Amino acid sequence: MSQSDDSKNKIVIREHVFDGIEEYDQNLPNWWLFTFYIMIVYFIFAWVAYYQSPFHIQNDHEHLDSQLAAIEEKKNKELESMMATLNDDSLREMSLDAAHVAAGKAIFDTKCVACHGADLSATMSGLKLPGVPLNDAEWLYGGEPLNIMGTITNGSPDVTKGMIAWKSQLGPAEIAQVVAYILSYHKT
Amino acid sequence: MSSDTTTKNKITIEFDDQTPRWFMIASITWGVVAMLVGVICAFQLNFWQVNGHIFEMMTSWLPERFQFKSDGIEYLTFGRLRPLHTNAAIFAFVGNMMFCGIYYSTQRLCNARTFSDVLSKVHFWGWQLIIVGAALTLPAGLTRGKEYAELIWPLNIAVTVIWVIFALNFFLTLKVRREKSLYVALWFYIATIVTVAMLYIVNHLQIPTSLVHAYPVFGGVQDALVQWWYGHNAVAFFLTTPILGIMYYYLPKAANRPVYSYRLSIVHFWSLVFIYIWAGPHHLLHTALPKWLQLLGVFFSLMLWAPSWGGMINGLLTLRGAWDKLRTDPVIKFFVAAITFYGMSTFEGPLLSIRSVSALAHYTDWIVGHVHSGTLGWNGFMAAGMFYWLAPRLWGKPLYSKTLANFHFWIGLVGILLYVASLWFAGVIQGLMLNETDATGTRLVNEFVQTVDKIQWLMLFRAIGGTLYLTGFLLLVVNIYKTAKSGSPVNETREVFDDPDMKKDQMTWGAAFRNDPVTYTFWGIFFAILWIFLPPGASHMALVVTLVFAYLAVKRFRANTATWSKWYDDVSENYLPFTVLVIIAVALGGVIQIMPTITVNRAANVEDRLQTLYTPLELAGRDLYVSEGCYNCHSQMIRMLVPDVLRYGEYSRLGESIYDHPFQWGSKRTGPDLAREGGVRGNDWHYLHMLNPRAINAQSRMPNYPWLFQKEIDFKVLPGKIAVQQRIGVPYPIMTPDEIEQGAREQALAIAKTLVDAQVNIPVGKDEKEPATETEARDHLASKQIVSLIAYLQKLGSSEPVEEVEAAPTKPQGIMPGIPDELRVVKPEVAPETEEN
Repeated sequence: MSQSDDSKNKIVIREHVFDGIEEYDQNLPNWWLFTFYIMIVYFIFAWVAYYQSPFHIQNDHEHLDSQLAAIEEKKNKELESMMATLNDDSLREMSLDAAHVAAGKAIFDTKCVACHGADLSATMSGLKLPGVPLNDAEWLYGGEPLNIMGTITNGSPDVTKGMIAWKSQLGPAEIAQVVAYILSYHKT
Repeated sequence: MSSDTTTKNKITIEFDDQTPRWFMIASITWGVVAMLVGVICAFQLNFWQVNGHIFEMMTSWLPERFQFKSDGIEYLTFGRLRPLHTNAAIFAFVGNMMFCGIYYSTQRLCNARTFSDVLSKVHFWGWQLIIVGAALTLPAGLTRGKEYAELIWPLNIAVTVIWVIFALNFFLTLKVRREKSLYVALWFYIATIVTVAMLYIVNHLQIPTSLVHAYPVFGGVQDALVQWWYGHNAVAFFLTTPILGIMYYYLPKAANRPVYSYRLSIVHFWSLVFIYIWAGPHHLLHTALPKWLQLLGVFFSLMLWAPSWGGMINGLLTLRGAWDKLRTDPVIKFFVAAITFYGMSTFEGPLLSIRSVSALAHYTDWIVGHVHSGTLGWNGFMAAGMFYWLAPRLWGKPLYSKTLANFHFWIGLVGILLYVASLWFAGVIQGLMLNETDATGTRLVNEFVQTVDKIQWLMLFRAIGGTLYLTGFLLLVVNIYKTAKSGSPVNETREVFDDPDMKKDQMTWGAAFRNDPVTYTFWGIFFAILWIFLPPGASHMALVVTLVFAYLAVKRFRANTATWSKWYDDVSENYLPFTVLVIIAVALGGVIQIMPTITVNRAANVEDRLQTLYTPLELAGRDLYVSEGCYNCHSQMIRMLVPDVLRYGEYSRLGESIYDHPFQWGSKRTGPDLAREGGVRGNDWHYLHMLNPRAINAQSRMPNYPWLFQKEIDFKVLPGKIAVQQRIGVPYPIMTPDEIEQGAREQALAIAKTLVDAQVNIPVGKDEKEPATETEARDHLASKQIVSLIAYLQKLGSSEPVEEVEAAPTKPQGIMPGIPDELRVVKPEVAPETEEN
């Protein structure tokens, strides 16, 4: 450091004393100043880049929409390929397969018990739950395996008076397993 | 500074130390209450039974007639207690602590007794009455439904009046000061007083519907923006600036060392008060809030990092040469830990405001942890240090036990660390779990309740951490009590020079404002604002002009450092110009951010959806939702993020909450988002769920709401409420009071019928008789509050599409600047304008 730097950095104590409190007048720490400057410069660059540059930056809506479109496309493909192999008979067959039924039960026990009860009776300790019983022969929207699959996927025609659509939470393969589990109560 | 001594008279003054003493006792008392309520709330998140059902469990072994029966006591639900906790911690604990610190130090920094003993007394007792009012009204469900602004309107008026009294007392003390220059602590006090007044008044503009209820004048996005401008700066100017002022007085006193750097005080004070105000929108990232506001919030939060740390540096480096005291003096221990926590949380704040970090952390417990490292670490420990330092001076006896104080320090520190660390983990774990998708990346794997279940053990650690902190604080109570008891109240007397000719407060307004520093700053900021608002092209020009001004300012400053410094020294000898400069600095950010959003026609603010109006019954249900404090756990804002959309449905549009007074976007998801809850489930589901959430979901932590099934809907107040809604701009059609009441009753009957059809269980009160027929059951249910709440919940997310029209490029989109959020569409309302022409 040169002589002049030294004199500049000399620690000055201010003349004025407040209730016994004195004040030094040290230089601002450089690392502190640079932190401040960098953030200000970043603000300027980022703002210009986002709002005032000729280059179009993808905005939130576009970004989200493209992400969602990709997901939707994936889902549709999945559904198509699944539905190609599924029919009433194949679903009934699944209901005889212990592995599918067990997988279906696991899903049922986390997502469906709340309304349909653990034993599909739509009651819990004698109290009536919001769902309809699934262990009887009565079906509101059709009892064929594909009808059940459709009801789970899309919910009841008027969801305020019935079940929600599950397609956003469960994939077709999982819904098929749930159907298999329900059908396992209806072995004839 | 020495001046002519001949005109000086030596006089003896007695400081008013009674006021700080009272405020200290009040702060400690309310501190215990605030922390105790906090601990109760924390345990409720683990055990819903802490809601009141616990009393049933505790008395179940007693003979029948002593048994207490309850599924939940309404006054003890989390939704009502949490506002009590936050308000008590902020306004009662820190508020009283701040007043104690300010009254004690201001007198000494001014060498003058507080201007008026009467005003001090009114201030003290008025403030305590307000707190008692809050403690009675909040558990009763009387609330405004806005965070840290929950108190009802009569109390708002009382707060404003008392604050003005405080301000008057403070500024008149400055006026009669016997000290030429204002010490840095006083700058912070000034900033606190003027800014809190500004924030409080704007965020509490409202129109009453009754003595205990009012609707805020702002709705939807406007309310969100105003609320977080207030909420964020309540942290800034109620929990930070006054405490920094206190640090600048008590730390050098306790350490007996000079303050590290005067010029750092100047730079960090002005940058802090100017920048802080702008950072509010970082509470609303990825929401429907226009993007430019979100970005301003982020960038100003980042720029705030250094100014905040300026305070920390000035505090910690003041201790150079006194670090040995850290081992022996509990006061220094508390101060050092507090300042370190201040540094940590003001680093964490900018970090959390980065949009990608916010995407994960927002709505989770990380935020709760962040706030508590500020309140427990910074505020709580500063309070403790100050009280331990003050008590011997206020009661004239040394501190009862240093050992006890040290023990308080360690137990408190462990408490905070446990608290903050467990919430870091809880927040990150829950955030990650909520975002987790299956192998295809198309579906979320975890139910919301599973994520809540997963973090239970961490929540328990948090509750234990809080309990430890409270235990430490109780040791302070003992220590201070014993100290006070061993001594007796003393008021310090001091010999001062009374100099009627002291050259203070003589600066002309011209000298204060017409000079280089003010001119360059003003034009620099003016063009920077133009840079933000002008369309591309012109904005670049404005930016260039700003930079030129910055360059010239630096050049002029280098050349005229002495003049610039002299000006600042002069201003700090003149409290009125100083205060006006502070007002300008703090007002700017709010004006720039809020004005464009609240002045435009709301119909232009809707994006592509416009909220469907609430029916009178739904409005009654909404008021219930607000009153029960549902917003403390449930948000109503689906962010523009894939996991949010996958879990809750389409992202929320501005227009979908535009008629919500107050907005209910929420800030924490202890339960799932409810923005699109309407029409997803049956009425009977909601009925059962509110009666006993665990009947629907065994893992649920939500409390039961049995009283909603007993209490009656007040149909009579609805016409009055609708009239106020109309006055604040909600376009209700003209309806007679009879129509309103009749409509509400009919809708209630319709909902009740669906419940009866679903054969729901009807709980009946002791004095009520069991409904015998279906009609009786329906009529019974239709009068109960639960039906209005169901009506509201089923309405959530309901909107009408707004006709897509190409926005005329000549017409500004209302909320500028730059590229508007693409989907915002102006409702075609050009017709009247052409008619005028």
